[in-house]
Amino acid sequence: MTQQMLAEYFPILVFLGIAAAIASAMVGGAMLVARQKPNPEKLSAYECGFEPFDDTRRRFDVRFYLVAILFIIFDLEVAFLFPWAVALGEIGWFGFLSMMGFLGVLTVGFVYEWRKGALDWE
Amino acid sequence: MLNWTLALPEIVLGVSGLFILLGGVIPKKESFFPVSMAVIGALILAAVLVLGQGEGTAFLGQYVADNFSRFAKVLILLGAALGLLLALDFNEKAGLGRFEYPVLMLFATLGMMVMVSANDLMSLYIGLELLSLSLYVIAAFDRDNPRSAEAGLKYFVLGALASGLLLYGASLVYGFAGTTNFDRLADALSGDDVGTGVVVGLVFVLAGLAFKVSAVPFHMWTPDVYEGAPTPVTAFFATAPKVAAIALLMHVLIGPFGDLSAQWMQVIWVCSAGSMILGAFAAIGQRNIKRLMAYSSIGHVGYALMGLAVANDTGYRGVLVYMAIYVVMNLGTFAVLIAMRRRGRALEQVEDLAGLGKTDPAMALWMAVFMFSMAGIPPLAGFFGKLYVFLAAVQGGFWTLAVIGIVTSVIASYYYLRIVKVMYFDAAPDGALDARPASLTVVMASTGLLTLLFFLFPAALIGAAQVAVASLAG
Amino acid sequence: MYVGAIFFPLLGACLAGFFGRWLGDRASMWVTVACMALAAACGLGAFVEVALNGLPGVVPIVTFIDVGGFEVSWALRYDTLSVVMVAMVTFISTLIHIYSVGYMSHDATVPRFFAYLSLFTFMMLMLVTADNLVQLFFGWEGVGLASYLLIGYWYEKESANRAAMKAFIVNRVGDLFFMLGLALTFWTFQSVEFAAIFAGVEAARGVTFLGMPALEVIGVLLFLGACGKSAQLGLHTWLPDAMEGPTPVSALIHAATMVTAGVFLMARMSPVMEYAPLALAIVTVVGATTAFVAATIGCVQNDIKRVIAYSTMSQLGYMFFAAGVGVYQAAIFHLFTHAFFKALLFLGAGSVIHAMSDEQDIRRMGGIWRKIPITYAMMWIGSLALAGVPFFAGYYSKDMVLEVAYAAHSGVGSYAFLMGLLAAFLTAFYSWRLIILTFHGAPRADHHVMEHVHESPPVMLIPLLVLAAGAVVTGFLFYPLFVGAQQEPFWNGAIYTAAHNHVLHDAHEVPAWVPLAPTVVGLAGIALAYALYMFAPGIPGQLAARFDGLYRFLLNKWYFDELYDAIFVRPAQYLARAFWKTGDARLIDGVPNGAADLAVQAARGAVRIQTGRVANYAFAMIIGLVLFVSLLLYGAR
Repeated sequence: MTQQMLAEYFPILVFLGIAAAIASAMVGGAMLVARQKPNPEKLSAYECGFEPFDDTRRRFDVRFYLVAILFIIFDLEVAFLFPWAVALGEIGWFGFLSMMGFLGVLTVGFVYEWRKGALDWE
Repeated sequence: MLNWTLALPEIVLGVSGLFILLGGVIPKKESFFPVSMAVIGALILAAVLVLGQGEGTAFLGQYVADNFSRFAKVLILLGAALGLLLALDFNEKAGLGRFEYPVLMLFATLGMMVMVSANDLMSLYIGLELLSLSLYVIAAFDRDNPRSAEAGLKYFVLGALASGLLLYGASLVYGFAGTTNFDRLADALSGDDVGTGVVVGLVFVLAGLAFKVSAVPFHMWTPDVYEGAPTPVTAFFATAPKVAAIALLMHVLIGPFGDLSAQWMQVIWVCSAGSMILGAFAAIGQRNIKRLMAYSSIGHVGYALMGLAVANDTGYRGVLVYMAIYVVMNLGTFAVLIAMRRRGRALEQVEDLAGLGKTDPAMALWMAVFMFSMAGIPPLAGFFGKLYVFLAAVQGGFWTLAVIGIVTSVIASYYYLRIVKVMYFDAAPDGALDARPASLTVVMASTGLLTLLFFLFPAALIGAAQVAVASLAG
Repeated sequence: MYVGAIFFPLLGACLAGFFGRWLGDRASMWVTVACMALAAACGLGAFVEVALNGLPGVVPIVTFIDVGGFEVSWALRYDTLSVVMVAMVTFISTLIHIYSVGYMSHDATVPRFFAYLSLFTFMMLMLVTADNLVQLFFGWEGVGLASYLLIGYWYEKESANRAAMKAFIVNRVGDLFFMLGLALTFWTFQSVEFAAIFAGVEAARGVTFLGMPALEVIGVLLFLGACGKSAQLGLHTWLPDAMEGPTPVSALIHAATMVTAGVFLMARMSPVMEYAPLALAIVTVVGATTAFVAATIGCVQNDIKRVIAYSTMSQLGYMFFAAGVGVYQAAIFHLFTHAFFKALLFLGAGSVIHAMSDEQDIRRMGGIWRKIPITYAMMWIGSLALAGVPFFAGYYSKDMVLEVAYAAHSGVGSYAFLMGLLAAFLTAFYSWRLIILTFHGAPRADHHVMEHVHESPPVMLIPLLVLAAGAVVTGFLFYPLFVGAQQEPFWNGAIYTAAHNHVLHDAHEVPAWVPLAPTVVGLAGIALAYALYMFAPGIPGQLAARFDGLYRFLLNKWYFDELYDAIFVRPAQYLARAFWKTGDARLIDGVPNGAADLAVQAARGAVRIQTGRVANYAFAMIIGLVLFVSLLLYGAR
């Protein structure tokens, strides 16, 4: 039983192995082959354009939040779509129309944020 | 078993909300007033549909429509519509005349309707969150005012905590009972031996709901939010959502957890007594009248919960009657508070009412009616509200609770009567208040007349409450 | 007719009281007089019907109280006893009303006076026609109220206010005993209806209350109540002070209403009293003592109205001891005749006062008998009747009272007889002292007053004449009916005489000197008065100087007021002040104030919790949650 269940995960193990191999090949190749000219800016961790080590009580542009929130909303929307798409055959018209309603509501929200200018950076 | 027509009022309200939102956002110029009118229209339409609504469960047992939910919904829609009416003039003058306000109120109302019709912990949560999210926003609607922003933020943080507690409780209940549906929960919990997990889960759910009705000890947000939020928002907070939360509380406790009444009665008992005591004492020293009304509303919730603590039909009927009267009185009082404006500036202190008896006798009279009614002085409506819960408490043998109730209402009458005293016996500081808009006069007069003349036709309300309770217990 | 006799006065009182302002003075006067006259006509008709034709009845009006087993209906009980009172009260009151039209004509608030007067009469009628003790009590209290209003009618006068309060408070003392008696009656008989009480007397004879026979206790309590209203020794102090009211009020209080209520109560409760021998003995002793004490005080008073007031008190003493020896008929008879001549005397005195420009002190009168001959004659007739001179009304009734006292053949009876004789002597003496000082001798008033002395208008004199006729004839006219040969069919059971009680019968067979004695002492008293005041006016002064102590003792009314002041009034005031300062100011005010302070403290505490920090709020929520969970998990399951 346990054997069988683990056996089902074997492809994932293979996948992980291949991914690890490719990733280390790329990073290793870059280290070996590429020309290196480090400076502090380059060596710091990438943090969406912010100082990585700084006072947390720092003001920064609210537009980042806006984008992040909008992203989460639509990301979730898409996340709901996957199981819906898989199960569409079983849930029939009711399921289809429900998702259409859901998308309709989201669309109204989208129109709202568009009209309000939430999508314009400037 | 979809029976989606049972949810027609909610569907209509939701869809019209979406269209109103589009209608508000697409034109270039600000459209606060027409949108408000459209929302009021939608609320009235929903109320009509509610009255014509059938009975039964819909959406595979997620949703229930019965006399109880009908009673609560009518009350909620009435409160919301009048609450919006109160905001019309104020928001224009305070620079808050943005069309999102009525739309948010509409969605909050939709959330409340879903709450009272919820027949499953899931739909309960959805309704509750729809309400809460809308309220978080309108609490901070005056976003350039730090107090309003603070109110919104506090409410949001604590509300999130309460939601978390509720969800945690719901998951505990699900874990131990194996279902989230109210009917099946009732079956699962009907045995003699219920697990500790269910009881703990119940307490967490209760805590989440008690937060919404601002019962002690989950009341702490109330004074700050009431004071900080714009006055029409406070008026709204103090009325419709309270009804919805109380109704939901009753629905949850009597339905799925009906057999655990021995447990939850103790919790409600403590909440009720605590709320009454805090509401009576803490308001005494308040100078800001909105803060005072916050404590007053805590106290009133305590009285309403007294009927729930009794856990019988008389008590439940008392709760419904109390809440109905409470909504009416509160709307009227807030209409007066919203009208408190001198030379364009909104006023919030008790002292600002001084001399109102001379400068604006009509408004002073209505205010006096509301204050006397809140103090529970016969023959005004507030007296009957208290009468029915006290009656239930005494009949049920809850003497301690009844005595606490009577003592605290005597104490509370001090600060209600102080307002009357300020209005009639203190000299006006600097001139009369500004002329008030007709919408406020309408609200004041209609709620005032209801409060004043309730004793002539109490049977209508009591009968309706009786019918509602019958469907709840059956 | 039966109803009319009672309610016409009420109608008059309401009309004058509520609409007097619109009616005006004259209309108010005459409307009350008309109502009283109608009531008197009804009263006389009722008298003929009930007493003479022997047709008693009960007129039900309405059920008054119906609580549990306690049912009180409101009904008019018409038997001979009540109808005698009704006829007498309405008749005398009518005359007094008419007299008042003249006497009060210069007063500022005439409608109020007449409204009170009619109300007073109505209450008295309510009292005498009561069908049960509660209704009687209603009338009893009503009379007290009306007397308070009337005595304090001139409320600008400090002394009038004091007198009114004194009358009311002293009466309350008596009323307390009356209420206790009422309660005990209900306890004993399970009813307050007279019919039920009288029917239950036989069964109640064995009942004891706190080890004493219940009937005795009831008798004593009711008598103490009667003492208050009828100014018997001990509770009499209000009566002389009540002279502060207008003279017609004094006449009404003394002649027809109020003071006779106690005597009436004794007669009304005769079926009970007959089985309370101890109570009757107390009644006799107190009555006899009152008769004597009041007479002694009357001898030295100088206010014309006070002299007559003490004579009333003295005569009430006669009535009580007559009742005390078990001859209520004689008591009522004396009450009946006394009403006429006492009203006559008071109204006559009022006429004198009127003539003397409101002077009341007899030391400042004298020498006016030629100027007001009719009043003079009236006072003579009244005094003759009062002194019991043969063939005047008082002669028959007073003789009868003394005869029954003698015929009682008991210790208390003999005591009463002795006191009665002494009082009769003194009565005659002070009556003529009054007449001589008032009308004869050299004028002691100043010119202005003397010049204005005038006979009263006809509206005042006519009632006097009618009353004088009554003072002359009522005695021999009604003697046979009240106490003579026809008394049994006349009373028709309204007054109960126990089987063992033969006093009335025996009274007609006393030795010959007994009926003669009052007349003799009366004439002796008159002679003495003439001797001292007419022929040797210097002697009284010398006597007063010689017996200074006795004189002062009498002049100060046996120091009753001072005694009460020391025993009751001052301690009560002291106690009241103590209650006020500590009880009220500290305790009663202190408790709410303290509670209010506590509330303020609690409010501060409640506000302090509200810090404004979200973290604290969340913490409170979690604490609450923990509290609830532990409450359910570890608390009482």
